[in-house]
Amino acid sequence: MSTIASADFWAFVGVVAGIYTILALGIQLEFGFAGLLNFGHVAFMAIGAYTMAILVVKSGLSMWLAAPLAILVSAAAGALLGLLTLRLRADYFAIVTIAFSEIVRYVATNEDRLTGGSQGTINLSGIGEAAQYNDSWEQFRTWLQGSLHINSKDVAMLVVVWAVALLLLAAVAAAIRTPWGRVLKAIREDEDAAAALGKNVFAYKLQALAIGSALGGIAGLFYAWQFSFFSPNDFAPLLTFFAWMIVILGGLGRTWSVPVGAAVFGLIFAGSRFFDFAPFSYFDSAERAYVRLMLIGLVIVALVLFRPQGILGKRDEMVFE
Amino acid sequence: MILSVEDVTRRFGGVHAVDGASFAVEEGSLTSLIGPNGAGKSTLFNVVSGFLRADGGRVVFQGRPVQRLPPHRIARAGLVRTFQTARALTRMTVRDNLLLGTPRHPGERLDRLIARPGRARRRELEAREHAEGLLQLVRLDRHAGELAGTLSGGQRKLLEFARALMTEPRLVLLDEPMAGVNPTVRGELLEHILHLRDELGLTVLLVEHDLELVMRASDRVIVMSDGRVISSGTPDEVRADPAVVDAYLGQRP
Repeated sequence: MSTIASADFWAFVGVVAGIYTILALGIQLEFGFAGLLNFGHVAFMAIGAYTMAILVVKSGLSMWLAAPLAILVSAAAGALLGLLTLRLRADYFAIVTIAFSEIVRYVATNEDRLTGGSQGTINLSGIGEAAQYNDSWEQFRTWLQGSLHINSKDVAMLVVVWAVALLLLAAVAAAIRTPWGRVLKAIREDEDAAAALGKNVFAYKLQALAIGSALGGIAGLFYAWQFSFFSPNDFAPLLTFFAWMIVILGGLGRTWSVPVGAAVFGLIFAGSRFFDFAPFSYFDSAERAYVRLMLIGLVIVALVLFRPQGILGKRDEMVFE
Repeated sequence: MILSVEDVTRRFGGVHAVDGASFAVEEGSLTSLIGPNGAGKSTLFNVVSGFLRADGGRVVFQGRPVQRLPPHRIARAGLVRTFQTARALTRMTVRDNLLLGTPRHPGERLDRLIARPGRARRRELEAREHAEGLLQLVRLDRHAGELAGTLSGGQRKLLEFARALMTEPRLVLLDEPMAGVNPTVRGELLEHILHLRDELGLTVLLVEHDLELVMRASDRVIVMSDGRVISSGTPDEVRADPAVVDAYLGQRP
């Protein structure tokens, strides 16, 4: 069977889109609703993944305990970063966040006794030990495959990732509809007006950043489980910008635009490898990996020109920037 | 005295925007702050509402010094301001703009929202009812469901006024509330302000350029020039003060 028709391949694309959905949901909450320009979001994905792996391998903790702890640590890291930097102006905040994410990646690369270093989690218990944090997850997935009568690993993963993603999407959508969400949006619109009405702008931004970082951490957990191995370079800044592209593609300030953006992004990203017609056939497969990035760039440029509100956004909201 | 400003200074570089200004606002009064452009009125408003830190002096609200508090704490204490150019939250509905003013809303806190969702919902319903009444007051009820960005400049001023009232303030600082509001509505707005003063005991401090209106409606008038208060008293007293005529009215041809 050719790859393009293979259910496994598309299940894999769906899993990645699900992980990106959770990651991008953090950006949507932070920027789309609270107006925070976080360009270092991938750091919290790294913190989530590494915390879980380290707790399992080094502390011998149950994965089921390590995972929620990892989410808490991601949220705490977001709050800490926020405490130090949220008083900065929006553009300076953006610069600091991208620096923060690079610091996290460099620490993960160089603190090899803690993280396994540049070779990744395989070296978590020392070089030549071949550490594995994924046993409990594999067990769970095998059990799930058995109970749902699914043959494919990726399809089982697809079910889990999207069940969690939908739950998180519903939770964020519900939170945004509350008066709490209304204050977030007011801060996005005009901080001074919100402060003049008695809203503690700093506290709300901090909450948005902590929750967004927790979402990043959850995305990191699924990333770790899906690939059963990772290294610092998996958390390069490009991933943050993938999440941004997804949010812009889907539409800013809408919760349910995130999975739509992620699906479109995933389709272009994965589907472009089947473009073996001109002009794509002029490039070899390694080059095509970069061509698809350019393709996504073009789609975003076209979208901003002709549909700046994104796929699901409302145009009239764009008029009143 | 609900508010007293004591020897407040504020510099920008070498410029003394507010240079030792002192005055007091009586509870339940409509007090106007006037003065030529550059007199320091807006800077003083920003200092009183906590948006600018004073370089010296004190601001005492209801017996409590507030000059070091952040804006949201001052607003919660009951001293609420509007802005010279209306800060309508344009991508939110007119109704949501108003609801934001709701004081002590349990639904605005995640912990209370989760622990007592029913209480948050009840508060929201009450707030909606209150907002509806205020929107009728400023004749924006027809626009309640529209985005605030669709409103005209004058309507935004009215929206901001209603939103400030939504917070149940003790003292409102209105920065040129009449600018850009059409003359008919202007008269009505003034009626509302006077009504709120008389019925609810609301204290109003107003910066306004329409002198005729100021002199007609104010209980007391404070005149600033070059960062200082040069006169204060009833409209008649101020009108008769030679210093005012010199510094302010005298400038007019």
